Amino acid sequence: MAARRNNPSGIVPIIQNIVSTVDLDCALDLNHIALHSRNSEFFPKRFSAVIMRIKDPKTTALIFASGKMVCTGAKNETQSKLAARKFARIIQKLGFPAKFRDFRIQNIVASCDVQFTIRLEKFACTSHGAFSTYEPELFPGLIYRMKQPKLVLLIFVSGKVVITGAKKRDDFYTAFDNIYSVLAEFKK
Amino acid sequence: MGDAFCSDCKRQTEVVFDHSAGDTVCSECGLVLESHSIDETSEWRTFANESGDNDPVRVGGPTNPLLADGGLSTVIAKPNGGSGEFLSSSLGRWQNRGSNPDRGLILAFKTIATMSDRLGLVATIKDRANEIYKRVEDQKSSRGRNQDALLAACLYIACRQEDKPRTVKEICSVANGATKKEIGRAKEYIVKQLGLETGQSVEMGTIHAGDFMRRFCSNLGMNNQAVKAAQEAVQKSEEFDIRRSPISIAAAVIYIITQLSEEKKPSLKDISGATGVAEGTIRNSYKDLHPHVLKIIPSWFAKEEDLKNLCSP
Repeated sequence: MAARRNNPSGIVPIIQNIVSTVDLDCALDLNHIALHSRNSEFFPKRFSAVIMRIKDPKTTALIFASGKMVCTGAKNETQSKLAARKFARIIQKLGFPAKFRDFRIQNIVASCDVQFTIRLEKFACTSHGAFSTYEPELFPGLIYRMKQPKLVLLIFVSGKVVITGAKKRDDFYTAFDNIYSVLAEFKK
Repeated sequence: MGDAFCSDCKRQTEVVFDHSAGDTVCSECGLVLESHSIDETSEWRTFANESGDNDPVRVGGPTNPLLADGGLSTVIAKPNGGSGEFLSSSLGRWQNRGSNPDRGLILAFKTIATMSDRLGLVATIKDRANEIYKRVEDQKSSRGRNQDALLAACLYIACRQEDKPRTVKEICSVANGATKKEIGRAKEYIVKQLGLETGQSVEMGTIHAGDFMRRFCSNLGMNNQAVKAAQEAVQKSEEFDIRRSPISIAAAVIYIITQLSEEKKPSLKDISGATGVAEGTIRNSYKDLHPHVLKIIPSWFAKEEDLKNLCSP
């Protein structure tokens, strides 16, 4: 695990959600899974996957008939992997030859607070305007699409910032460092 | 009057242009250098009174560079009076069924024209919207999209680019069927497409409450004093930390100004209708504005006691 970055302000973004995928490498009978497990729901007319939830770590998985699985809700990379393993174990216990192939974290969502109000209209007018979208009629936050690293930040007037689209923890630490220095100029 | 080379005099001579005959004549020897020149000015007779079948106008509308052939084409009209003539009616059918590459464009331009008429927009904005639509349509990826929302979004962007923004709700009211969400999505799509096409050239400033002030005030019939006061108030309010959409702030400021003026005061319902902001939102924005009302309202418009009398939220 990479060491915490030293941001001059001392603010560190906190992970809120991690989405990961894993391939169980075997075809699954969703009906059988839904019938024989307590914590799952399956409505084929609505969505063609079983939605299963476990209490610890508190996560939700979408399990598809092809054997692919999406795991969401974990607050930590290790917890996400652990949860995915737990889901795979449940599938194994139900009688399918599940394996654990290609575990990959697809998206990390983090949030933080810069502790000052921000002038979004000014921010959108500057040279950063090429990357920002600020439409107060449509959404109260400014949508900043950073090129390097490639992720999206939602910046609000209150000073709260949501960072999404990162695949690694370091990505959003870098992103926050980059944006913090810029935001400080637009303090209200 | 001009200079040209006369072949008889074998030198540059003064040349007179005779408009009535359309001749270019050398003033020294009288040789006609060019005859039957085509007059490119507009039709000088107007036929506003004459309607019906024989419209004697000899020129059509201006050429449209956006269309494939400049808008020059001949269309076989449906004969009036129901002639049972088999040939002419089927000719008309065959012509319309033929491959007309501009059909979709012409229809879209017509829709944009209708929408901008309903909003009372100038031709500049309408032409801009047409241009934007043509640029987006050039990239074939827009086929499956909701056409109404796309056209409405083109108009919205055109208004923004001309610095005369219209709220999405106003555009919604003339776009048949498109919702605010769909127009918003279409707008994002268009901005992305235009950005892809010409490397980030889409210039659109953020909206400010002041842009809409004049229009909302005139919708409500406020007098000049009140309009001026409202515009000043909105300018000042931008300095304060009020976390509301600019339209809601505009509506709340209008509410305060009209409550302060002596004339007939529009109700919350009237203001809601003129601005498109919900009554509850105006009330909430008023609550947010109230602490700063002394600093926002210009002193020449209302005195402190009036402000104190203002009903507290």
